[in-house]
Amino acid sequence: MNPRIACMAAAFFLASVAVPTAHAAGWIDQRSVIAVHGDATAGAAKATTCVACHGPNGNAIIPAFPKLAGQRAEYLAGELHKAKLGSRPDSPMTALAAPLTDEDIANLATYFASQARTPSTLPPADSAVLSRGESLYLHGDPARGVPPCQGCHGSDANGPADGAGHLRAWPALRGQNGDYVVQRLKNYRDGKLMDSSNDFVMHGVAQSLDDGSIQAIASWLASLPPGAP
Amino acid sequence: MHAQRLSIPFRTIPLALAIAAALPVHADSGAGIDTWRANKLDPSAGAASEGCDPNGTTWLAPGTRRSPTGNLYHCPPPAPQVTAHGDWQHYGVLQLGYLGTGGDDRNALWNRYVHWDSELILGLLDLSVERPEDGTYANVRASRISDDDQYYQAVFGRAGSYKVQAFLRDMPNVLSADAKSIWNGVGGNVLTLSNGLKPGGSTSADVAAVSSAAPERMLSVKRSKQGLGFNMYLTPEWTAYANLSDEQRKGARPYGGPFFFNFPFPANGGALETVKPIDDSTINVGGGLRYAGTAWRMDLSYTGSFYRDRYTRYTYETPFALYPVVPGAVSAPLTTGQMAMEPDNNYHNLKATFTRKLPMNGELSLTASAGRMSQNDTLIQPIDCQGVFGIGLGGSLQLGPQNPFLYDCSKWNTTAALSRRTADMRIDTTLLDARLVLQPASDVTVRGGLRFNRDDYRNGYLMYNPLTGDYGYVSENGSQGSVVPGEIGLFNPLTSPSALTRIRSLPLDLQTIDADLGADWKIGDRNTIGATLAFNRYEPTNRERRQIDDKSLKLTWVNRSLDWLTLRANYTYKTSDGDRYEYDPYDFTYSSSLPGYVPPQGGTPSHTVEALRKYDMSSRDEHKIDLMATIMPRDDMTISGSLRGDWNSYDAKIGRQAYNTTGATLQWEWQPAPTTTMSVYAAWDHSQLRLSNVQDQQNGAGTDPRLGGPNYAFDGQWWLRDKQRNLYGGATFDHRIGRVRLDASWNYTYSRGIDAYAYAGPTALAYPATVPGAGPGSGEFPAMVYRIQSLTVGVTVPITERVSMRFFDYYERGHVSDWHYLGFDQTLVQDHRVYTDAGPQSYRANLVGMLVNVQL
Amino acid sequence: MHPRSRLLRAAALLGFWIAALPGVHAQQTREDLSRDLPASGELTNADVQSTGRSLLAAPGFAKAKVATNPAFPDATPVGEKTCIACHQLEADHFTHTLHALGLHAAAKADPSIPVCETCHGAGSQHAQAPLTRGSIIAYTKNGGTPIEVQTKTCLTCHEGGPRDHWLGSIHQRNDLSCSDCHNPMAKFSVEGSLARDSINETCAQCHKDVRLQFNRRSHMPLPEGQMSCVDCHNPHGSLTSPLLKTNTVNETCYQCHAEKRGPFLFEHAPVRENCLNCHTPHGSNQHALLVAPVPFLCQQCHVNQRHPNDMHTPQSLATGSNPDERIMGRACNTCHANIHGSNAPSGSKFHE
Repeated sequence: MNPRIACMAAAFFLASVAVPTAHAAGWIDQRSVIAVHGDATAGAAKATTCVACHGPNGNAIIPAFPKLAGQRAEYLAGELHKAKLGSRPDSPMTALAAPLTDEDIANLATYFASQARTPSTLPPADSAVLSRGESLYLHGDPARGVPPCQGCHGSDANGPADGAGHLRAWPALRGQNGDYVVQRLKNYRDGKLMDSSNDFVMHGVAQSLDDGSIQAIASWLASLPPGAP
Repeated sequence: MHAQRLSIPFRTIPLALAIAAALPVHADSGAGIDTWRANKLDPSAGAASEGCDPNGTTWLAPGTRRSPTGNLYHCPPPAPQVTAHGDWQHYGVLQLGYLGTGGDDRNALWNRYVHWDSELILGLLDLSVERPEDGTYANVRASRISDDDQYYQAVFGRAGSYKVQAFLRDMPNVLSADAKSIWNGVGGNVLTLSNGLKPGGSTSADVAAVSSAAPERMLSVKRSKQGLGFNMYLTPEWTAYANLSDEQRKGARPYGGPFFFNFPFPANGGALETVKPIDDSTINVGGGLRYAGTAWRMDLSYTGSFYRDRYTRYTYETPFALYPVVPGAVSAPLTTGQMAMEPDNNYHNLKATFTRKLPMNGELSLTASAGRMSQNDTLIQPIDCQGVFGIGLGGSLQLGPQNPFLYDCSKWNTTAALSRRTADMRIDTTLLDARLVLQPASDVTVRGGLRFNRDDYRNGYLMYNPLTGDYGYVSENGSQGSVVPGEIGLFNPLTSPSALTRIRSLPLDLQTIDADLGADWKIGDRNTIGATLAFNRYEPTNRERRQIDDKSLKLTWVNRSLDWLTLRANYTYKTSDGDRYEYDPYDFTYSSSLPGYVPPQGGTPSHTVEALRKYDMSSRDEHKIDLMATIMPRDDMTISGSLRGDWNSYDAKIGRQAYNTTGATLQWEWQPAPTTTMSVYAAWDHSQLRLSNVQDQQNGAGTDPRLGGPNYAFDGQWWLRDKQRNLYGGATFDHRIGRVRLDASWNYTYSRGIDAYAYAGPTALAYPATVPGAGPGSGEFPAMVYRIQSLTVGVTVPITERVSMRFFDYYERGHVSDWHYLGFDQTLVQDHRVYTDAGPQSYRANLVGMLVNVQL
Repeated sequence: MHPRSRLLRAAALLGFWIAALPGVHAQQTREDLSRDLPASGELTNADVQSTGRSLLAAPGFAKAKVATNPAFPDATPVGEKTCIACHQLEADHFTHTLHALGLHAAAKADPSIPVCETCHGAGSQHAQAPLTRGSIIAYTKNGGTPIEVQTKTCLTCHEGGPRDHWLGSIHQRNDLSCSDCHNPMAKFSVEGSLARDSINETCAQCHKDVRLQFNRRSHMPLPEGQMSCVDCHNPHGSLTSPLLKTNTVNETCYQCHAEKRGPFLFEHAPVRENCLNCHTPHGSNQHALLVAPVPFLCQQCHVNQRHPNDMHTPQSLATGSNPDERIMGRACNTCHANIHGSNAPSGSKFHE
């Protein structure tokens, strides 16, 4: 090879590796999700640590923590796998999820999925707020670019009706704790939760939500009794 | 006299200026050529090297979707990295690198349409600049592999408003890489013998020595094209477009040159494969106005094409002397042959289409088109010679009545010897077309069409020399008449009243009328069946038949009832028949139609055998079947297959009797992940062509045209079966490991052709003595083989966010064997036959490349 | 230094400079872009004035309106911002296509022009129940939208011109949708909004057999990327049965081979009638795209007395006992070189 070409190529190479390259940290692809069939009994046994925050049988009493009871097993498993990625070291779940094996995660998810969700004990919000929340959930707000949540989360907020394949990882929201939903949506909006493909979707969705809308949706979801509407 | 060369020096105008002065050129799928610019390095012009976005198509679902037929869409490329400058933004890629060739890298097949050497190249420059505010954009795309192989393209416009495009493209076409020319002046229009060969006085051994000592050279033609175009919305309904392109071809190619037969006369005659210069330019102009409204649509267009050839003819020296078949006579010394080049021609065409939407979801479309192809190039003289041509009886080359077969060059070597100085030929074309489609019910569509097409051939040429009163032409540069007395090609009612020779050109008008009627019926949601009846009447003039009628029925079926299968099938039956077949309609073009013609003793020889059916005129039956299936076994996999068959049987005892082709393909494609794709294909096709011919037995004087008569005896009949079989196979693989991308592709093509012959008796053969016995026999030619395998392996390594490097190797092995060229590796000169092109050669060649890819 | 090398080196340095200094110019992130996009509903006057110029939507987009979806006629438009809230990755890929450039610019000038919903129809039903097939005009298999609706939607803007004869054309009758060949949602090809890398690859999805014929010994430069299927054929429909762009086969060939147009003083009748009498356009095992090897190609019609009708065996080849110019090399064409027609007054048999 011509020595001048070799020199040029080498110079190019050296100069370019000197510039640091940025690359994305790992993220979980939730577009291909396999069904979770763990052992609920083993999960129950492992869940003793969980109830401290998430309440008995996963019905969290403190509104800042999410209810796990009756949630889709694949969604719960996904959340635990995301916690294991450790992208948010300050979150309590990071340390708690670290020692879990895949089998543990499947068992825990199966256990909590099999529990029944109890209705909220807090007083519901103001009816204007609830009605706004319902409208946003069912019809979205085209003027602001807010898509209706029911598209993915189901008209009854129990997750998509057809629970096949990757749709299993889309969570039920019915009766979820309001404060938790508010914080979660704000985290999505601020780009703090980017651990999976579904997170990327929610990040986009949350861009159009202002604080008032977030509060309305969360309040309405929290006010829904469990079971069909 | 040389025709004026019309050339526009586009190359001297910087591209930017050219765009500013733009007369637009826009090639779209409706009209024009130049729809794609790329090269062999990357036929996708950059799309393939972008790779896949590892994120996939959507966050909402896995994999990619399928087209309605069922083919998987490919993974989308990653979004470009855009850089903003205020209102504008830009993105692009620059690919520079180095290519190295090795092995048989001078081989003609390896270099067919590409010119790469070991050198630095511009792999690709693709830069786009946009202003999102109003949709204005500009794009430059270029790639330069070498001087002979490069393209540059620039486009600017505003989305939905207008577009201006300019391009420059050079492309090589290598015709021979092992040519040895005994002439000097290759590439020009005067070929002179090299190395001391004496025109008209060299022996075969002399010529063979010069040929073998000649250096091996490449004969190729380079096409250089420049184009400008624009396309513009005048209003939301009206668009206008225009384009202009100029293509120059320059180079040389193996051609020919006759100095009468060598095969019956050892050391006589001459079959010379001379080298023709190519130096011409074609200017194509097009423009139109289109209207698309709610009820009406209209399309008015003009197309013009102007061909200009630098040379009107080229001349070449012949090395060989001739001798006559009459003992004691002498051939006139002939030294020069000439070959007319293609004449400068003009083409104009106007076309108007009106379409009206009809109730019942229908449309009526009417088209009218008129065109003219004309040329009026200066004609060349009948022969290029000095002194005399023909045969000198008794050894004397003195003109006079004692030497009736000797002719005076001065009466034939100027254009004064012609009945006309310029060609003045013209064809006027007319087209009328009407189409109707209606949907009387939601599941039924009815369509019909009528079409009338006519070519009027204006003018004819009479071969008459006003200086001598002779009709006819000087055959084969004067050589035929210098070997065989009376065969110069001239008829004269006084001096040679029995000469049978062409005296007139052949006007070829034609007219076709087509009519078709069809219907499609949707059965349920998943099945569509259709039928079409079509009729075509073809009426040529001055051909064996005055009228040929084609009738056909086509049945189609589209099925989507199974979720994993899309099936399309169709069957066509066509039958072609005509009026009485006249085996010799050409008498009026021969001297036998002139007053004063006296049939020779024994009668006028028949033109050809009566039983011949030329296959464009013969009666024929055709069955055609097509099957296409797309199978979806898994979400990430597609299998597609096709079956084809076309069987033609011609009603001909002599001539083409059958032409059948069948084929099958299978493709498998798998996209397990956004960054992994692979595919495999395999295909096979087979064709068979059968013909029959019959040797004449009476030395060219036979008057009985019947097959089985004394001249075209059954014993002389022979048959040929040409069988071609092609096997194709290939695979591609594209995968990312981390951030490194691997790609590989393998392609295999194996073509094998066998020509097998059978004959009724040895008298059918050119050389009966070469076969034993007297009865029928058969044999076959050596297989004609073309087998090519190529493997490309590449790896792309990202260096920084914007820079990556691609290393690849492309290895190709080709084996070719064409029996036409058997023995040409030993010598290109056999007696008085001189060849220049030694034919296609097998090769093994390699291309290695290192490209640096920079995101701009 | 050779001027070519100079140019290449300059280009290399330019590229190096652009690559090595990423921070000089602001990079537009996807978030920036999405904030630029209009939601449905009117832009305020302030927004329009702030662009500093009053723009008319380009004429080509005047027909852009929310597409009609007969399956869900009561759906209402939701606007691009709502669509891309969920479909961000699709929007990422779509943003730098020509459709996006034009529709975004047109929507900025005239807010009543939708972007996504121009092709996909009103999105309110789909937004509420995206798994309902056909709730949005989908162009994919199992998307739930009938093919006639798909093609009718594209033709709302793209009617006419090259697509003048779509209705009744062979592809339309075989139930092909525009999206079988085109995919404007990402830049798969450099031109034409195709579904594959290039025009040739797109056609080869179904017409693989024709594409493979181009791999034979003699072929036009289609595999080398120098031309495409669309140089000769109009896949959207045309007046001729093989979908040619001109009125006849020969006129198609003359576009690149104008030297064969003539008309010549002396014509070879099968040439004037149809180039395909002797040539096969997609690829051949013979030299020069011929249907059969010379001399047999010619001997299908030429049974004239004397030299055309002799049967040749391998003994007539250069390696045989009787080498014969009528079958060696270019065979008949060594003497009858101007076989497509001759303009020489002595060329009635194409010798000159």
